[in-house]
Amino acid sequence: MSADPVAVRVEGLSKRFGSLTAVDAVSFQVDSGELFGFLGPNGAGKTTLVRMLTTLVRPSGGRACVAGFDVMQEATQVRRHIGVIPQAMTSDLDLTGYENMDIYARFYGVSARERKARIETLLETVGLSGRARELVATYSGGMRRRLEIARVLVHRPAVLFLDEPTIGLDPQSRRIVWDLLRQIRRDDEMTLFLTTHYMEEAEALCGRVAIIDAGRIVTLDSPERLKRQLPGNDLISLTLAAPPEEDLLAALQALPFVYRLHAEDEVLGVYVEAGPMNLAGLMEATRAAGGRVLSAAIHEQSLEDVFIHYTGKSIREEEAKKVSLLLGAGMPRRWNR
Amino acid sequence: MEPVSALSRRLVRVSAVIERDLKKFRRNPVIIAMSLLMPVIYLVILGNSFQGKLIGLPVVVVNQDPGPAARALVDNLRAVQTGPRTLLLSFATDERAAVGEVRSGRYKAALIIPADFSHKVALRTRPTLGLFLDNTDGISMQTLRGVVEGAIGALGVDYVPVREPHDRALLRDVNLFPSVDYYQSLVPGVVIMAIFLGTLTTGVFNVVMDRFLGTEEAYLLTPLTKTDIVGGLVISGLSVTSLVAVLVLMLGMLISGIAAPGSLSQVAAILVVILLTTLSLISLMFVLLGRADHPRIVGVLSGFLNVILFFPSGAVYPLASLPGWLKQLAWVNPEAYAVDALKAVLFKDAGLSQVAGDLGFLVLFASVTMGIAILLLKRRL
Repeated sequence: MSADPVAVRVEGLSKRFGSLTAVDAVSFQVDSGELFGFLGPNGAGKTTLVRMLTTLVRPSGGRACVAGFDVMQEATQVRRHIGVIPQAMTSDLDLTGYENMDIYARFYGVSARERKARIETLLETVGLSGRARELVATYSGGMRRRLEIARVLVHRPAVLFLDEPTIGLDPQSRRIVWDLLRQIRRDDEMTLFLTTHYMEEAEALCGRVAIIDAGRIVTLDSPERLKRQLPGNDLISLTLAAPPEEDLLAALQALPFVYRLHAEDEVLGVYVEAGPMNLAGLMEATRAAGGRVLSAAIHEQSLEDVFIHYTGKSIREEEAKKVSLLLGAGMPRRWNR
Repeated sequence: MEPVSALSRRLVRVSAVIERDLKKFRRNPVIIAMSLLMPVIYLVILGNSFQGKLIGLPVVVVNQDPGPAARALVDNLRAVQTGPRTLLLSFATDERAAVGEVRSGRYKAALIIPADFSHKVALRTRPTLGLFLDNTDGISMQTLRGVVEGAIGALGVDYVPVREPHDRALLRDVNLFPSVDYYQSLVPGVVIMAIFLGTLTTGVFNVVMDRFLGTEEAYLLTPLTKTDIVGGLVISGLSVTSLVAVLVLMLGMLISGIAAPGSLSQVAAILVVILLTTLSLISLMFVLLGRADHPRIVGVLSGFLNVILFFPSGAVYPLASLPGWLKQLAWVNPEAYAVDALKAVLFKDAGLSQVAGDLGFLVLFASVTMGIAILLLKRRL
């Protein structure tokens, strides 16, 4: 493992495809042992950024060092010290799980003796020991993803990159992958760098998250701090007996602790400071303005709200347009730049 | 890091590229069967579609002359029909109807023997015959003309002379090599064809497929070098394709009845020719398709390449009769050297030393194209 305390150092990194700037002068640093996330909608530049850091795409400007090596000048050294799980499934369908791992390990020059033990341990870890001798063509999407996670660890990389590791997986497989990633970080003291457009994924896994939109980092911090920085960091939803009148909305908006609100039929969403403390005040004000509250619930804000705060749009909306196209393994790479 | 371990690590990497390719190939038995069967079927189809000699050309004869010369001429034509079977004779009485049926395509020619034919033959006053030919079919036309002329020429010969006349020049054929029939002469071309087909489904094809399926990305992320990738795929493609080519050659020799090579040097020469041809074509495909990202490009290019490499190779038609510009293509066509070498070994008892020139060209061609292939391969997306 690299002794460098900085696993990934990026300075003013850019990538232009013709007139399109996919990544726009991005700078950040990931320390060794961190689980670092890039959150943003597809098309935000996440995949291009990962591809630059993993030597697949030549940057148009700026510098990046990974595991202590320059991605341009020392590409082979970088490749030797990293593991990457690209967004598309890349395991060979007409090889068995074991063969996939064995051949991949040999690409890294892992010796025969070490290979066997390592592969068996890893297959055990991802729960595929029983299916290791079967062709990957017979695997489900989740199994294939788990195999790829095991495969990428076979040469003990110092930095592990995962580009949308759970895209297209069902909720159960997603949870299994999450547990695996946590376990890897804990057991192998590896640096993990992942991109995702799932807020839950970034929140559940990452120690620090960079929110990226249109090729730029809009903010970078731990999920907790990002959410705490938001004005109105709790969401209270009130279900009323009838859709609220304008007067009621104006009265609530005038309250000092209310940041903003939105109404959808009978359900009123109110962003407030210190939700649990102000719930009683909010309900009182609603009643005073003529509203009748049937039920109330406090939600903590999510990274989605952070994204909305910084970009003025929602990741979910951005996703709804694109994600249906992006499922599956056989997607040509020019689609997911 | 000491050089020994760097080399051994490279061997581990390259062997993994080879094994991956071979395993995938082995798990596709349909492709193996097809790459064996197709060239053999090709031999049978090609051997039977343009034979060396034409047979069964339909000809209608309208004989208006009851005389002996006309009868003799018809007998001569009948002899051709039963002997070499070049003709399929029909007889008619209406001259105009017969010519009409040549026009309509029922017959390739109509031969009209006029009423005064025997009379003029007897008087030696230049007898005339009418041969109405379908001149849109050049090959049949030439053959028919030759056959009819032969039949006319044989009219005056009533007997076979016991002794050659002293005043006539005598031409004696001396065959330098055991005789080769048309079917057999196609075998070298068919082996080259098998190699060509093999190099389209191995080697660079894997790169194109990996790229198309998106699995290439995982490859590019590893420390594999361009040389590892090209080298590994060339070695696996070379082993699969040359094995198929050897089997096709053995099948072809069995079907067409070519004698097994008599000496070890010949066997060695055959193997070296096959290996070098495969290497040349695999490397050529890497140059042409190294950056293709869709299997359809391979499909489109294969038909085109097959024609421009196979026909000016000397496999079916002698290179000497090609026009100058096409000869120049043949000069740089590895298939031409391969066909020449294989024909020499199979039909002329040549060993390694006699085909050294051809082999030299193939070595040069393979090294240059492989160098370009490695330079052209992209190591990034």
